[in-house]
Amino acid sequence: MTTTDAEPTMDAAAERPLLVATDVTKAFEGLVANREIDFNIPRNSIVAIIGPNGAGKTTFFNQLSGVYHPTSGTIEFEGIDISQMAPHVVAGLGVARTYQNIRLFQNMTVINNVMVGRHVRMHGQWYQAIAGLGGIRQEEEATRRRAFELLELVGISRRVAAELSKNLPYGDQRRLEIARALASDPKLLLLDEPTAGMNPGETRQMTDFIGRLRRELGLTILLIEHDMKVVMGVSERITVLDYGEKIAEGTPAEIRANPRVIEAYLGKQATA
Amino acid sequence: MTRGLALRSAIQAGLITGVVMVYLVAVGLASAFARREVVTGFLSLGHLMLAIPPLAVGYIVAGRPLPTSRRLAHALTVGLAAGVLFAAAFLAAEALSPGIRTVLNRVSAALLVFVGFGDLGLEPGAGALLNVAIATGLALLGGLVRIAPVPVRRAVVGAATAVLVLSMVEPFLRPRLLQFALSGLAQFIYRSHGLSMASAAIILVFGALLAVAWPGMRNSASSRLASADPGTRSMLRWLALLVAIAFLYTLPAISGSFLTQVLVLVGFYVLLGLGLNIVVGYAGLLDLGYVAFYAVGAYFTALITSPTSALGWGLNFWVALPIVVLLSAMVGLFIGAPVLRLRGDYLAIVTLGFGEIARVLLGSDALKPWLGGPNGILSVPFMLGDGTYFLPIVGKVTGPAATYFPLMGFCILAAFVAYRLKYSRTGRAWNAMREDEDVAQATGISTVNYKLLAFAMGAAVGCVGGAIYATHLQGVVPGGFDLLVSITVLAVVVLGGMGSIAGVVVGAFALIGTPELLREFAEYKLLVYGAVLVAVMILRPEGLIPDASRRAELEEAREIEQGELKVEYDEITGDA
Repeated sequence: MTTTDAEPTMDAAAERPLLVATDVTKAFEGLVANREIDFNIPRNSIVAIIGPNGAGKTTFFNQLSGVYHPTSGTIEFEGIDISQMAPHVVAGLGVARTYQNIRLFQNMTVINNVMVGRHVRMHGQWYQAIAGLGGIRQEEEATRRRAFELLELVGISRRVAAELSKNLPYGDQRRLEIARALASDPKLLLLDEPTAGMNPGETRQMTDFIGRLRRELGLTILLIEHDMKVVMGVSERITVLDYGEKIAEGTPAEIRANPRVIEAYLGKQATA
Repeated sequence: MTRGLALRSAIQAGLITGVVMVYLVAVGLASAFARREVVTGFLSLGHLMLAIPPLAVGYIVAGRPLPTSRRLAHALTVGLAAGVLFAAAFLAAEALSPGIRTVLNRVSAALLVFVGFGDLGLEPGAGALLNVAIATGLALLGGLVRIAPVPVRRAVVGAATAVLVLSMVEPFLRPRLLQFALSGLAQFIYRSHGLSMASAAIILVFGALLAVAWPGMRNSASSRLASADPGTRSMLRWLALLVAIAFLYTLPAISGSFLTQVLVLVGFYVLLGLGLNIVVGYAGLLDLGYVAFYAVGAYFTALITSPTSALGWGLNFWVALPIVVLLSAMVGLFIGAPVLRLRGDYLAIVTLGFGEIARVLLGSDALKPWLGGPNGILSVPFMLGDGTYFLPIVGKVTGPAATYFPLMGFCILAAFVAYRLKYSRTGRAWNAMREDEDVAQATGISTVNYKLLAFAMGAAVGCVGGAIYATHLQGVVPGGFDLLVSITVLAVVVLGGMGSIAGVVVGAFALIGTPELLREFAEYKLLVYGAVLVAVMILRPEGLIPDASRRAELEEAREIEQGELKVEYDEITGDA
């Protein structure tokens, strides 16, 4: 098949990976968007999927978060097969995501965007909310505090907490999306082109921040990028998709040197 | 070049204004409202209605970022253009009179006298010129108000509002003043059915003063409130609530039977609006068949409580109510389940269909043995006693007031429930679903459950409205539950501001209460509804009282900022 010799990286492979995708194929009425992809994410790692536009990255990503279900193959998260689960169930298990084109709850306030992200970790039911019973106030207060902490963590001033999220500047909207995802205490954070539309300075800030999230929150992170330069610095392992197939996998240095990647992905620019 | 362009757009605006004025006259709106006096012998509501377009457009045009003199010139141009068009239409109508009535049947001789100031003995030509002069003057006045400093603007608006409101409440206020032995005051304020000149002048001054002083008063009050300690603040909040409830409690005794009837009608729409607000405003599910729940609540109640119904149980209302609520919530789930996968327009059309199905079924021959077909179900008992009961302080309660008290209680309860839900995990989940269903689901929200919950909650509130309605009319007939009810409730919610609880109350008063106060113009009710809705959607698309959650959160953010809140990153790590 493809180069699998790079798979056991420096991480001691004793521990079971957080997520294991086996033989995942997704077809849309004949169009095969993902073909027989094997992929895993070790705990507390940052891995990246790259590939040219239309390579099937986002399709694959959507299957990890339950939006699509694979035509065949399995996806195990912490040993549980999530491949046929609804998105909200997957979210409850500890998978949170952001979107390539920012998708905030635009007409909700900044703080409410984060608080709603904590939905799966809250327990208050509607009848408890009406009656004011079942520790509902404490839960609400704790959620609000946590939301403010997360805003601070991602670097959004609490002064804008009551603004509608659609009124935030672009960079803050990206950060808010991450804060919303973090609010659910995820084990796995899926970031879909987190630096799209950013200038080089902002991009570096974002990649630094992603590194910090892993170090300080102990998160496991999967990045999707079509720009290879972005992921070189932060990710320890890169998987390359092209035309729906995995064509290479390995450390950034290996990927950079892989002739198939250069041909399929960087080819034109490299030879130009 | 640009100068010419700006002038041309001013002329255009003026001509449109003129067309609006001609329209108001031609459909008979202005002359109908002319019967209603604002200041007796000087100004009628019809005159005012014609005066508002040039005033408003003059005000708007003068807001352009240009030198003052040109802003005023534009306002003048607008008025002139509007006046000339209006006068030309008047002269044309005069020339074509009586023949024109075959096309525009409202353009009577009396109308032409009204428009051309014939009552002042003016010839048509002179009347036309006077119209041009007045329109120009009004537009210029609007422009002057616009360029005036803010306090002056505020004063003018305040004065005008005060006069208008006090003159419009005359049919209710005067009998009340007489009831409380204040006939002297009544005679001073009102002459015939409008304000007297002297009282109008005084009210103008008071309105202006109040409007100018208001921001300062509010600021000092709110700053004092902000500096007060939390204990005092919550005490003040409770006190305000208490005063409001006391006011509502004694209102029927003060207001008399007709106004109470109006309040009951408004109350029904407040209740329905609060219910629909959960479905449309919170959860974003556009339900055009909400009347179905109103009808279902009313019919279930009638079926269970009326001794002459097919069931003949004749249960007490309060025993029946929980059963009705439960049944209606189930109907909500029943309707909600098949439309779970539908979004936006499709959902609206399907719910519209459900509303119609409900209406047709209720009056159908097939269900006649149970629901009585077109005759409905009669002899539904009163909620309390025989429609007459005694309350402390208020004393004997009868007539519409017998419905008023429980209805108000349920409105307050519904508002409380809506408020609690809004600021909860449930409310946020609904809002998220409204904003982006897919992302909401990826955030962990079970959209199926929350949609069903919204439908069930909306149904429960709506059916309580229906249940009270059935006892209020002591019966149900299928005629009362048509599409117009659904649309009116939706209009109440949208006008007030989607998702806003206070907005529903204001919207119900504006859309249901005001037309009742201006009963004699019922003929034009829907026309005015339409115009008001269009105007609000253009000028204030977020509604009259936009969702206040942002304000509340602003305060909380400030509070949290004051208290120290140090963030330790490892603290956030959570269970990892």
